[in-house]
Amino acid sequence: MEKQSLSKYLTWLLGAVVGVLVLWRIITVGVAEGYPTSFWISQGINGLVLGGVYALVALGYTLVYGILFMINFAHGEVMMLGGITGFFALQFATAQGWMDGSTTVVVAALLFILVTGMLGSVATGVALERLAYRPLRRAPRLVPLISAIGASLFLQYSVLLIFGVTPHSYRKPDLISGGIRAGNVFIPYTGLIIFLASVLMMLGLYLIIQRTKLGRAMRAVAEDKDTASLMGVNVDGVIVATFVLGSALAGAAGVMLGFHNTVVKFNSGFIPGLKAFTAAVLGGIGNIPGAMFGALILGMIEAMGPSALGIPTQYKDIIAFSVLVLILIFRPSGIFGEILSEKKA
Amino acid sequence: MNKGLTTGLIAFGSLTYLILTGVPIRLAQAALPVLAVLAALFFSLMLRRQGRESSSSELLASGLTAGVVAGLLTTAEVWLFSSLLGNGIKVQPIFDKIVPLNMAALLGVRAGAIIKGEVALGQYALIAIYLAAAGLAGSLLVLFTRSGAAARLRGVRIPGGRWLTIVLPFVLFAYIYYLGLSGVTAFGNNRNIVRLLIVLVATGTGLFALRAAQEGLVQLVTGALLAAALLSLPFILNQFQNSVMSIVFIFVMMGLGLNIVVGYAGLLDLGYVAFFAIGAYVYAFVSAPFSSPYISSLLAGMGISPDAPLLGYWSAIPLAIITAAIGGILLGIPVLRLRGDYLAIVTLGFGEIIRLFLLNLDELTNGPRGLLRIAQPTIFGAAPPDLTSHLDAQGWIFLLAIFGSAVVAFVAIRLNDSRLGRAWVAMREDEDVAQATGVHLVQTKLLAFAIGAICAGLAGQLYAARQINIFPENFTLFVSIDALSLIIVGGMGSIPGVVLGALALKGLPEVLRGVDEYRIIVFAALLIVMMIVRPEGILPSARRRRELHSQLGAIPVPAPDEGPLDEEIEGGRS
Amino acid sequence: MAPLLEAKGVTKVFGGLTAVDQVDLVIERRSIASLIGPNGAGKTTFFNCMTGLYQPEEGSILFDGRPLVGQRSDQIIGLGIARTYQNIRLFKGMTVLENVLVGQHVRMKATPLGAILRTASQRAEERQTREFALELLEFVGLAGEEDILSTNLAYGDQRLLEIARALGSRPQLLLLDEPAAGMNPRETEKMMGLVHRLRDEKGITVFLIEHDMKVVMNISEKVTVLDYGKKIAEGKPAEVRANPRVVEAYLGPGVLMDAPPKAEKKGE
Repeated sequence: MEKQSLSKYLTWLLGAVVGVLVLWRIITVGVAEGYPTSFWISQGINGLVLGGVYALVALGYTLVYGILFMINFAHGEVMMLGGITGFFALQFATAQGWMDGSTTVVVAALLFILVTGMLGSVATGVALERLAYRPLRRAPRLVPLISAIGASLFLQYSVLLIFGVTPHSYRKPDLISGGIRAGNVFIPYTGLIIFLASVLMMLGLYLIIQRTKLGRAMRAVAEDKDTASLMGVNVDGVIVATFVLGSALAGAAGVMLGFHNTVVKFNSGFIPGLKAFTAAVLGGIGNIPGAMFGALILGMIEAMGPSALGIPTQYKDIIAFSVLVLILIFRPSGIFGEILSEKKA
Repeated sequence: MNKGLTTGLIAFGSLTYLILTGVPIRLAQAALPVLAVLAALFFSLMLRRQGRESSSSELLASGLTAGVVAGLLTTAEVWLFSSLLGNGIKVQPIFDKIVPLNMAALLGVRAGAIIKGEVALGQYALIAIYLAAAGLAGSLLVLFTRSGAAARLRGVRIPGGRWLTIVLPFVLFAYIYYLGLSGVTAFGNNRNIVRLLIVLVATGTGLFALRAAQEGLVQLVTGALLAAALLSLPFILNQFQNSVMSIVFIFVMMGLGLNIVVGYAGLLDLGYVAFFAIGAYVYAFVSAPFSSPYISSLLAGMGISPDAPLLGYWSAIPLAIITAAIGGILLGIPVLRLRGDYLAIVTLGFGEIIRLFLLNLDELTNGPRGLLRIAQPTIFGAAPPDLTSHLDAQGWIFLLAIFGSAVVAFVAIRLNDSRLGRAWVAMREDEDVAQATGVHLVQTKLLAFAIGAICAGLAGQLYAARQINIFPENFTLFVSIDALSLIIVGGMGSIPGVVLGALALKGLPEVLRGVDEYRIIVFAALLIVMMIVRPEGILPSARRRRELHSQLGAIPVPAPDEGPLDEEIEGGRS
Repeated sequence: MAPLLEAKGVTKVFGGLTAVDQVDLVIERRSIASLIGPNGAGKTTFFNCMTGLYQPEEGSILFDGRPLVGQRSDQIIGLGIARTYQNIRLFKGMTVLENVLVGQHVRMKATPLGAILRTASQRAEERQTREFALELLEFVGLAGEEDILSTNLAYGDQRLLEIARALGSRPQLLLLDEPAAGMNPRETEKMMGLVHRLRDEKGITVFLIEHDMKVVMNISEKVTVLDYGKKIAEGKPAEVRANPRVVEAYLGPGVLMDAPPKAEKKGE
């Protein structure tokens, strides 16, 4: 007989009540509202696109957690800095006239912007690790977490001061404005590109982790840092590499989100960061495929949720928060379970 | 040499950061000297490690290299920016703070000269020279600390040093009284700000004085005198100064309450503002029922007029306590099994959810329009500020906040040295073993949340009375972060530490009003630096300092470290 | 008299690994019994099943007639079973005295309100708790060390402190997980004397896991041997020592053939 406790009963009772309420609301309002299927498909596609972006950031969280067992609170800001760096690259490209050139030129310019953004994020991530986290590796749990919170705030408000308070607008080149029409459903080009790019990058990451020497080293360090170093693995190097990979992905996400939302600000990283973290936990923190699926699921919930529940779209952030809280309460190991070291018997 | 190069580069990076964030603008003509001094201190810190192994000449060489590298690079940068500005190119769209005023401050010229491009090359060179000198100064400083002279200084005991610490706050208090006398013109227009600053410093030194007094009669007398001095302040300060001090002490209450949750029980609650908000809004509901559409109609339906307060401040206290406690328990139940970072995130989520509800449940909370005209606390029907000209409204709140802090501190002290307090520490150190030693985890955690919530609720109620009008935007995540920073900077687990933290983090920014922009950045940087350098805070409790710094004889115990839940302890190898 | 503890068919499985396999065990009152076996045999896992840290998949454990399976560890210590740990898990930030004060947590009646108000009964209880703690420290041989930080104690003394902390709950059954591990011969002697005094002076039943065969052979009345989770032998020390299955399990005949040390000194 497992441990029975009053609080566990109460929690599950609460959860059941919430679940029933949500379902009831969806049925009576969302379904009753009678949105056309095309609407749901559009929203679903929106969700997938969002999910793709979240996935890129969620992977960063999951990677760092898998190796250092810490939540990189400032990861959202790493993403934001990618967006900011990308913005300047965009300004530069526009000034050079690349954004109005032929298709090849525009594509090259976009790649240039993407890469610059990724570099900006990588620089931030590496600096973060070196300055705010490495000195605290052996400290008790609370300490690096507080340092991370401090780092997050520091980055946000430094960007505010240095780059000013006006939001930076990402002007989409004509090439990628617009989209495909399929019946009543509209798929924006940016959405397509983001989704495809996300999938490609995730595949790339997966290959790196599973097939390369670095990936092996990363898995070793995640399993047991000290033993790995005794086996000759350069633990510090691996950790930096992890931050580099995670930050690069986040940077890409930052640029893509910039184009998708047409704007990037100093606090553009905070909420998406939290949502990406939710996605990582949803899928099972430390679990790479889990993070991807968790992100897609979360994206869909966020896109379709408000309409399904019949509440105004401003509440979509509450939905994401609530998912996080609910998951951590009822299934903290995530849908797919954590893949950390095998449970030590 | 190499070390000098890296140090110089890092210094250059930091200086660039300061330039980009516009610090020289604030410092005006003092920019270059101040930055040079900071650079010198930075260099000495960085070189200190090298100082142990190298010879004096090597040290000087490193310092000089660092200074020269930083100097040349910074000069080049300033020259670049100035030239751009001088040619009419607007850098602002990219770097918001690169404006003529910024460069002018660094170069010691007028902004106009930058715009016209009329700056002599020699002016630029000045930057390099200052920084090179800073590099030398830094290494000289290291040499000095290494030397015999410094060692002798360190060994010198100032006779009566202890008594000096004890007497200092009283000297400062006397000066505060003096500055309040009519006819005193010291500091001119800045007098009120300076007086406030001295109040903050005096209170702070009072804490150190208490510590220096050690146990016994001396500590008792010192404490009593300090208390008297503190209690007299609301009567002699002006409205603005009182308002600052009142918020400081409201945050002392918050800090002490959060200290119980985080410091004693080790539960990282990032959503503490939720209970603060509950306390404030509940008092607002009963004190200004007319503000809330829902409550107004509810009361009207019952035949009660919503135009007058339902409960006075004091009668509302039990209500605040009960609702806050319920809130604490409701928050605590779902998070019982969560650990560390996950607990932090979920509580953060709760805090935000509460704020979003406050914002969106218009019918009840009046949404962004807020609840208005909250009543002041009265004694026997009369508000003391109305009775005497010596006490203004903010002073009254300040006085109440002092009492509130004393009550919360009293509770914290008593609990610390009790069965529950020990259970909290045990739980914080090793949850599984604590449970196996008989600690009922659920009860113990919920008690921590509830008691902490009660403290925040009481603080919130007083805050509502202080503000008279409250809005959801008063209850953001930053309140939670403020409260947490208090404990971290001031000293985790220690009551004087919390007071110090409140004085520094809530009081000082008011004095340094001009640098409001930098407040959060300084905060944030402080958090990171404190964690690296002194995680136990400035005035930690003895236990905390031992915990965070004790390495000797510690037998490393593998910590159960996976996933958000506390997993079962390892079965070992048997 | 009925045995103090009866375990029947206790089985604990982790994923694919059966750590404890259908173990039956009986501990008589006021006895000193040992649990031995090579590394990985499941000894500490069995302890953990007894104290509520793990819940066995099968089997039952009756303590004084009351079932232990399904209870939390704080409930079990309330019933009268306390333990120490293989890798010493003291409360590092607390002093020696504070550790023993916490040990008494389950026997104290203090409430938070009482603590805040510091009622007379509250003060009396705190005083008694403190006195008892000092008595226990003296009993284990740590008198005078109350205010030292627990991590600053010598290794051997830390093990003694763990025992004192466990004694705080006034247990009937004390589980010691490798109490002599890492100790030098003199400290080991002291420990053996302490175990005897626990039974003789305090009437506590002691059940210990040990690898040091001299200790096991010397103080146990009954020895149970586990290997790969299964019980492979049980009986008086001499019987078990001669059992070829046991010898085989350990792969170290030399260890078991050593003669026990001279008659131990009682106490110090």
